[in-house]
Amino acid sequence: MNWFPHRSAAWRLGWAALALAILLCAAGCQRTSQQQPADQAPELAAELTVDPTPPRVGPATLLVRLSDASGAPVEGAGISLKGDMSHAGMAPVLAETSGGAGGLYQATWHWSMAGDWFVTVTATLADGRTLVRRFDLTVAGS
Amino acid sequence: MALYRPTPTFDLLRVPGLGRLLRWRWGRLVFQLPMLALAALIIYDGLSGPQLAPQNLATVSVWIHYRGLVLLALLLAGNLFCMSCPFTLPRTLAHRLAGRGRRWPKALRNKWLAIGAFVAYLWLYEALDLWASPALTAWLVIGYFVAAFVLEALFAESPFCKYICPLGTFNFAAAAISPLQITARSQDVCRACVGKECVNGSAQVLGCGTELFVPRVVSNLDCTFCLDCARACPHDNVALAARWPASELALRPGPARPPAAVSAWSRRWDVAFLALVFAFAGLTNAFGMTPPVYALAATLSRWLGRADEALILALIFGLFMLLLPAALGLGAAWLSRRLGAGQGGRWSRHRLRDAFTRYAPTVLPLGVAIWFAHYWFHFASGALTVIPVAHSFLLDHGVTRFGSQPNWLLGPILSDDLVFLTVLAALALGYLTSLHTLQRAAAGEATPAGRRALLPWLALWTALAVAAVIVFSLPMEMRGMIG
Repeated sequence: MNWFPHRSAAWRLGWAALALAILLCAAGCQRTSQQQPADQAPELAAELTVDPTPPRVGPATLLVRLSDASGAPVEGAGISLKGDMSHAGMAPVLAETSGGAGGLYQATWHWSMAGDWFVTVTATLADGRTLVRRFDLTVAGS
Repeated sequence: MALYRPTPTFDLLRVPGLGRLLRWRWGRLVFQLPMLALAALIIYDGLSGPQLAPQNLATVSVWIHYRGLVLLALLLAGNLFCMSCPFTLPRTLAHRLAGRGRRWPKALRNKWLAIGAFVAYLWLYEALDLWASPALTAWLVIGYFVAAFVLEALFAESPFCKYICPLGTFNFAAAAISPLQITARSQDVCRACVGKECVNGSAQVLGCGTELFVPRVVSNLDCTFCLDCARACPHDNVALAARWPASELALRPGPARPPAAVSAWSRRWDVAFLALVFAFAGLTNAFGMTPPVYALAATLSRWLGRADEALILALIFGLFMLLLPAALGLGAAWLSRRLGAGQGGRWSRHRLRDAFTRYAPTVLPLGVAIWFAHYWFHFASGALTVIPVAHSFLLDHGVTRFGSQPNWLLGPILSDDLVFLTVLAALALGYLTSLHTLQRAAAGEATPAGRRALLPWLALWTALAVAAVIVFSLPMEMRGMIG
């Protein structure tokens, strides 16, 4: 059998495949995810505290403290927390915070498995901007 | 003397509709094209998408779905991934462009390189945390395409599939327990055949890429299920026949079975060692997700005075995946030879090899069970995570018809308790099948000495099964080796 009686056809196919691959990569490099909004408040500080510390599998309390460049608390924000494991295939842990007085926001939490976690703090500030921070944690077994 | 062949009581190639599709000239392409599209998607999302593994199609589809489904397919049918492997598409293009390449070096026409590549692949998976990196997962897929293309352009005999590919090596080993196998419908037809198109190819279809000759096929080893043999055969004499799983591991010589047709697993150090490495690697891979391995890594790190994760992993993998199976396998073979010395005639310099190659492959059902238990855990725990990940991917590309909020809480398809029960059931089934295969491998040697010869292997498989139960009873952790 001769799929490509004229070799130029095969080369054209090869080059087309290469061009497609380059295009895919180029297009890919420009992609932004709507699920990961950009941080619009880099001047603010966010601090995550976990109780118990060090974190262990089971129930926990997460505290987020927001402050501005002068150290003054940032109040009136709505904060959602999302915990992802480093391994694919694990459903994340989601929570909304309450409070906010003195820039301190609190959420009840449950570490479902030991391992590496990424906790993403997404805060919608009173002025409408979005603050996004990621914290890396290692959770020990119960 | 008649050659052994399974009786094709059920032939998948004779199933109305499906059989015709499978034997169709472009039948393999029907399965490969969707996999090619999936590979392109993996590369695209892996390089461009969110670099959090649970939110990226590359990591979710490769490390959760591929690994779970490939084993289910092997258990229920056969080597379906190799059949639909997208990496062979550019390989075939290379083959067409370059023509018949040179022969693969004779010294490398065995499984030693494949064993090394298999262990190296597992080491890379941990050392580079491939499971946590969409971009590296995408580059792994690209690397596969490049390697398959280059090797096929340079050499004949599909060396990538047969002698290197770690995925193929895994599938070849696990396919020993598959219920389907290529065989000839009639040996008489094969004997009268002049062209041997199943291996030589015809004007329209390539012959077997891994150079298997259908009437001599007695196992799934090296069979990619490409079905080129069935398409090339001018006599329509190739069957994809049902058989007892693991039956290929215990064929013994007999009046209708000349030694050459006994088993692809017989009398070869490399394939017997592959079976052991496959099983021990499965246990080590699962062990790598439990707390004791972190303690071991920390201890090694203190001894070495350095926290080089790649080095420590190499030591752990080298010990548990290569040295331990070699030492225990050879030790069992030596004991088996000593205990069975009263039967079977004179000692010969081949006796150690005979004992090793005869009984070591019977570990494969247990090995498959260990791999299945691990991959099933991930699959059953996270199969549905692909839904929000795909939803998120579509949203990022402007497709909003499924709503604007992915349901990130989707994940498991079974409760933790049920997953654990299925894991235990798989291990028990694998262990019992290995024992049954071991007993069949010794069929015809019912003397007390013959039975004693089985004891070392019985002890080894039992120890392996107990170790597997212990490992899977430990709490799993998902993190890098050295935190």
